[in-house]
Amino acid sequence: MNTLNQVLLNPAFQLGADLDGWRAAGGGQGLDAALADPGAIIATLEAADLRGMGGAGFPTHRKWAAAAAAPAPDGDKYVVCNGNEDEPGTFKDRHLLRWTPHQVIEGALIAAVAIRANRVVLYINPHQAEGRAQMRRAAQQWAGTEAVRRIERLIGKPLEIAVVATSGRYIGGEETAVISSLEGGFPFPRRKPPFPAESGCHGAPTLINNTETLANVPHILHHGAAWYRGLGVGDAAGTKLYSLSGDVLLPGLYELPMGTSLHDLIFVHGGGMLEGKAFKGVFTGGPSNTLLTARDLDVALDFDSVRLRRSRLGTGAMIVISEGTSIVRKVAEYIEFFANGSCGQCPSCKAGTFQMARLLDRVDSGRAGPGDIAALRNLCRILPGSGRCGLIDGAVTVVESSLHTFPAEYGVAEPAPAETA
Amino acid sequence: MSETVHLTIDGREIAADPTVSILQAYAQSGAELTANVGCMGQGVCGSCRCMVRKDGERQVSTLLACETRVEPGMQVSFIDYFLPAHVHHYDLKDLHDSWGMLDQIRAVFPEAEHCRHCSGCDRACPKGLPVQSGVAFSVAGDIAAAAAVFDQCVMCNLCTLACPENIRPNHLGLFVRRSVAALTLRPIDLMRRLREVASGEMSVNVTLPRVETATAAPRLAAPAQDR
Repeated sequence: MNTLNQVLLNPAFQLGADLDGWRAAGGGQGLDAALADPGAIIATLEAADLRGMGGAGFPTHRKWAAAAAAPAPDGDKYVVCNGNEDEPGTFKDRHLLRWTPHQVIEGALIAAVAIRANRVVLYINPHQAEGRAQMRRAAQQWAGTEAVRRIERLIGKPLEIAVVATSGRYIGGEETAVISSLEGGFPFPRRKPPFPAESGCHGAPTLINNTETLANVPHILHHGAAWYRGLGVGDAAGTKLYSLSGDVLLPGLYELPMGTSLHDLIFVHGGGMLEGKAFKGVFTGGPSNTLLTARDLDVALDFDSVRLRRSRLGTGAMIVISEGTSIVRKVAEYIEFFANGSCGQCPSCKAGTFQMARLLDRVDSGRAGPGDIAALRNLCRILPGSGRCGLIDGAVTVVESSLHTFPAEYGVAEPAPAETA
Repeated sequence: MSETVHLTIDGREIAADPTVSILQAYAQSGAELTANVGCMGQGVCGSCRCMVRKDGERQVSTLLACETRVEPGMQVSFIDYFLPAHVHHYDLKDLHDSWGMLDQIRAVFPEAEHCRHCSGCDRACPKGLPVQSGVAFSVAGDIAAAAAVFDQCVMCNLCTLACPENIRPNHLGLFVRRSVAALTLRPIDLMRRLREVASGEMSVNVTLPRVETATAAPRLAAPAQDR
């Protein structure tokens, strides 16, 4: 591994809540650059091609531009750092919160400068108690600093930095659920539009970014967009935190150039398959996406390239499955997770995830009836798009893709007949 | 009206007469009726819960298959009895008198207070009962009014599926109905009739539908002993 490529996991930055240490290591210069030319921040992010690292891969600058342009009826604007990370196989944000809180907070402060936000909310999953404690300490260290005073002069009002505990539920990471949660309610997702950037927390424009996304921002402002783009492989920009787990020899958190191939992640960095077993497939970040298989080992792990394989990079979680591990068992576990994580607001999601979990459990335990596979396929056709948020769609995707790619594991002899996509 | 409609039920393409219900169409297609797919003529109501996506619609509704007429392009999926993570346990013997009712409801169904009046249960109820008001009556302690609301509940569980707060309105309803029964005098005509059955003065002759009579007959021949 080329440690020189490391940005977020650079050993010099793994300091915990130590503002002086962070400054000594080069921190704070991104914020200085942002304050020197606030009008150029969004253009720099656009040139750097920074994407939403929480799973969507949405161009960050577009969200920021929308939030910057949105009028603030009550004068309030929010920047929210989404640190709710709770999906199976993803363990990147908790590291950043625990070890580099200032990297994350500086990114959030730059966002506040860019969109003129007066409220910065660090929304942290309470299950990551260490991360939350570090963030709380780190937030206090920023209070009264010259940098914060400069931001206050720019936006013309006091800047509030708050650390807020999330509900600790998976669904609480959904963007509109973040807003419900911040308004004091259960994290129920809402219909979009209105998008949070226009009307979010208490109706105020709200910019919600994943922890990893914000952590990249200070470095981009400090070193420039061209530098960031150059970190990636090919057209992909920057680096990505990959949460590698499953049947590999060296599971763990890896920061690699965006666009590193799946093969290199598993066989070079991950040390290869556990016990030398044959590679079977990968559940990617969520795990709510189409499975990657042996044919996809050459895929570059960036948002666009994975998309071309009809899957998604997601959070960068890669759960590797070898021969000898049941795909149905894993899918059943994940659907069970989604069934428990469904907020219950949309009956089709609550009933759909429940029913899929029941069917998968029957298949896995050898109790499936003759019609159960057809029923499962039928659910995959009925359910997509029926929920307010994407939970049900993600659950369906992983079921449908595993049925399509590994029919034999479901006891279906022939490959599934071509279904309309 | 003689044209057939085509729909999909649990992945099977089915052609049906447009006047029949989903459940009838399913049975007529030769599919086996199993647990969770229809009451099998036994009147165990609410056992044909299904999700339905109508042609061209995004929304998926939860309905009872026996009372929903087939439509072209409908996609149907039967659903098992929904069991939430938390199941309520109670013993009616704990209800010594009606003074303890409010505490009992709070103890057994604490989540009922979380109702956020979204009307999801009202929309889900195939009987058209004002479920949400029944929950509100229960929480307020107006047990008689709540029991009246749930009097016609068939325990199909669709309101439970619809509730984002994980209240189980039908089970709350059952609880208040049982409580009212436990705390009030039994109707005299019911008491009389049970005595007549027990003494053999009144004979009970239930004709069961179809096959099961062979095993069922001896059991029903002497109903008095069953008590």
